[in-house]
Amino acid sequence: MSVKIALAGNPNCGKTTLFNALTGSNQFVGNWPGVTVEKKEGKLKGHKDVIIMDLPGIYSLSPYTLEEVVARNYLIGERPDAILNIVDGTNIERNLYLSTQLMELGIPVIMAVNMMDIVEKSGDKINIQKLSQKLGCEVVEISALKGTGIQKAAEKAVAIANKKSVALPVHKFATEVESVLEQIELKLGSDISEEQKRFFAIKLLEKDDKISAQMKSVPDVTEEIAQIEKEMDDDTESIITNERYVYISSIINECYSKNKKEKLTSSDKIDKIVTNRWLALPIFAAVMFVVYYVSVTTIGSWATDWVNDGVFGDGWSFFGISVPSIPSMLESGLIAVGCADWLQGLILDGIVAGVGAVLGFVPQMLVLFVFLAFLEACGYMARVAFIMDRIFRKFGLSGKSFIPMLIGSGCGVPGIMASRTIENDRDRKMTIMTTTFIPCSAKLPIVALIAGALFNGSWWVAPSAYFVGIAAIICSGIILKKTKMFAGEPAPFVMELPAYHMPTVGNILRSMWERGWSFIKKAGTIILLSTIFVWFTTYFGWVDGQFRMLDDMELNHSILAAIGNTISWLFIPLGWGDWKSAVAAITGLVAKENVVGTFGILFGFAEVEENGAEIWGTLAGSMTAVAAYSFLVFNLLCAPCFAAMGAIKREMNNAKWFWFAIGYQTLLAYVVALCVYQIGTLITTGAFGFGTVVAFGLVALFIYLLARPYKESNTLKINLNRVAGAKNM
Amino acid sequence: MPLTMVKAGEPNVIRKVGGKEETKRFLENLGFVAGGIVTVVSEIGGNMIVNVKDSRVAIGKDMANKIMVG
Repeated sequence: MSVKIALAGNPNCGKTTLFNALTGSNQFVGNWPGVTVEKKEGKLKGHKDVIIMDLPGIYSLSPYTLEEVVARNYLIGERPDAILNIVDGTNIERNLYLSTQLMELGIPVIMAVNMMDIVEKSGDKINIQKLSQKLGCEVVEISALKGTGIQKAAEKAVAIANKKSVALPVHKFATEVESVLEQIELKLGSDISEEQKRFFAIKLLEKDDKISAQMKSVPDVTEEIAQIEKEMDDDTESIITNERYVYISSIINECYSKNKKEKLTSSDKIDKIVTNRWLALPIFAAVMFVVYYVSVTTIGSWATDWVNDGVFGDGWSFFGISVPSIPSMLESGLIAVGCADWLQGLILDGIVAGVGAVLGFVPQMLVLFVFLAFLEACGYMARVAFIMDRIFRKFGLSGKSFIPMLIGSGCGVPGIMASRTIENDRDRKMTIMTTTFIPCSAKLPIVALIAGALFNGSWWVAPSAYFVGIAAIICSGIILKKTKMFAGEPAPFVMELPAYHMPTVGNILRSMWERGWSFIKKAGTIILLSTIFVWFTTYFGWVDGQFRMLDDMELNHSILAAIGNTISWLFIPLGWGDWKSAVAAITGLVAKENVVGTFGILFGFAEVEENGAEIWGTLAGSMTAVAAYSFLVFNLLCAPCFAAMGAIKREMNNAKWFWFAIGYQTLLAYVVALCVYQIGTLITTGAFGFGTVVAFGLVALFIYLLARPYKESNTLKINLNRVAGAKNM
Repeated sequence: MPLTMVKAGEPNVIRKVGGKEETKRFLENLGFVAGGIVTVVSEIGGNMIVNVKDSRVAIGKDMANKIMVG
């Protein structure tokens, strides 16, 4: 018989570390139905029949955040056989607040007091026996990071889960509150089992309408609410919150003694420097410089060169033994089996070249993700959000939007997924829409191509790409904030800062792999299919009324050329209205790194360097410098690659919002590229035409949208549809 | 007085938490309840990091203005 154990606890209490330690690689990661809250499930190591459910980190079972609603719907609806409640021993008072609520559910609870190693080191004492006796549940001391005590905690949870018993809460509130709760419990229908009555009674008293919506019959408790609110001169929700904290402080002195000697923890001392008024930004800039320097120019580029030039290039040497590259091995294999020419072309020029180019980014990206995972796990990332909030608030985003953008500079897909940590629905949507404006590592080859071909590799082209991205985010923030959809103050910044600590290697690697994997998966699926499509449409076409495979010299007869020719007029106002550029921009939608490769194929080079050095001359001959910059800007800002669009769709969780985001990005890209080309041409050549007038008109409109007065709206609510969706699990 | 006027390092008793319902509840769940002790750890441009019930919470200036201490 299988049993289910739910892991519940505050954010940053070490829940994920414990979950990983208990389940190992035996995990299933998905989403809770209808919402974008991550759902993690796994089998307990050595127990095939024990399922461990990792609930989202929550502070309470109130209905105010998506995570809380998801967690409590699971606990009420699915009723796991036991709850393993993880409590941060260094912050026990606040953590017990959630525990008192978990114990009211009627499900047996095992409490695991985590971070005991830190508690002991600081000289604090927690009396486990006393705590267990006061709370009426078994308590185990653990350190999830060091792995001590976790086996014992798991065994106790399994034992109590196997009993399939019910548990009644021990803690009591003030007599006035208790008597009102008793009256409400008597009114509850028989469909609610005895052990759940207290939970529902408290929720009814708190006027929690999401709970009453789930009940078959809702008793009228307005009288009881009015009575207690009058008696205690507060609203019922605050009364219950206060009662919980009063109860916790009444037991805490007996169970917990704090070492008073040290006033500031080491974490506070670090914060005094790292979040210092003057030092915060310079320290942050220095950290970011190191991260990017190492991951882009040193380790990352060595690894990427190895993949591009060695594994997918001319072969490499392994401790002196020379290893042939994958394409050359495949080629000799294919020739040996007498493979048809077209199939060889498909495999080598289409699939291997296309997918290989994408996989070349993986090492660089993994190095970047290791750094970001470390910054996240050690606690610095939360401080970054705090430091940046002051700046981001000025253009309508929250400091928490910064983390997705930072990750998005590696790859937009995990960047967009990282927007989940933003609770406020509007802030999150705006972050999703703007994150991909930051040039991701796949856009850098386009930058290198344009800089090399048209600007003699000028130093300013690459920084200007980031500047365009940042400016697009800032302007979009200001413009969108003034539209009806996004109006209103951003949600006030409130965020718990975890204590600084050294993360485990395992956790960092796991986080790196989860993000890197989402990129590799895209290379294996969508990019694979699209390279086949691009290869086919490039090398097949009608010559003199006959459909056949084309030579490299006949590519202007290809299907792709026909597609390019039909849409290229769209890009004439942007200065690059020839079919080759149009096709390159389209293949950029598949994956941005395709743009360079597509130019390579279309200009008749089978394989080009990552920065397209071979085609610089041809490209420089086919467009002006201003047109090339307009092409660059368009590709930086327009709808991201398919994989990132998929991520936007998943995270928006709404088709209308998805199309709005994609449409906005593409429109902005078109308008900015048009202005760059028209006004740039006016400056460089003095040519003035209809397009120039349109460009000035657009600039005027843009300035109006930026500067128009701000309309305050009073619709600040979390999206109820999302929450309602969570309910129908 | 509002929390923004408090000097770093001085423990203060929370009197009242104001602001929008949703944020107020969230702060209560984090431990900002009347009668509790709050200490400012550091402050940049009105945004602050405070210690409440042994945890560090970062709050924006607009929110800190709505927490009354004394």
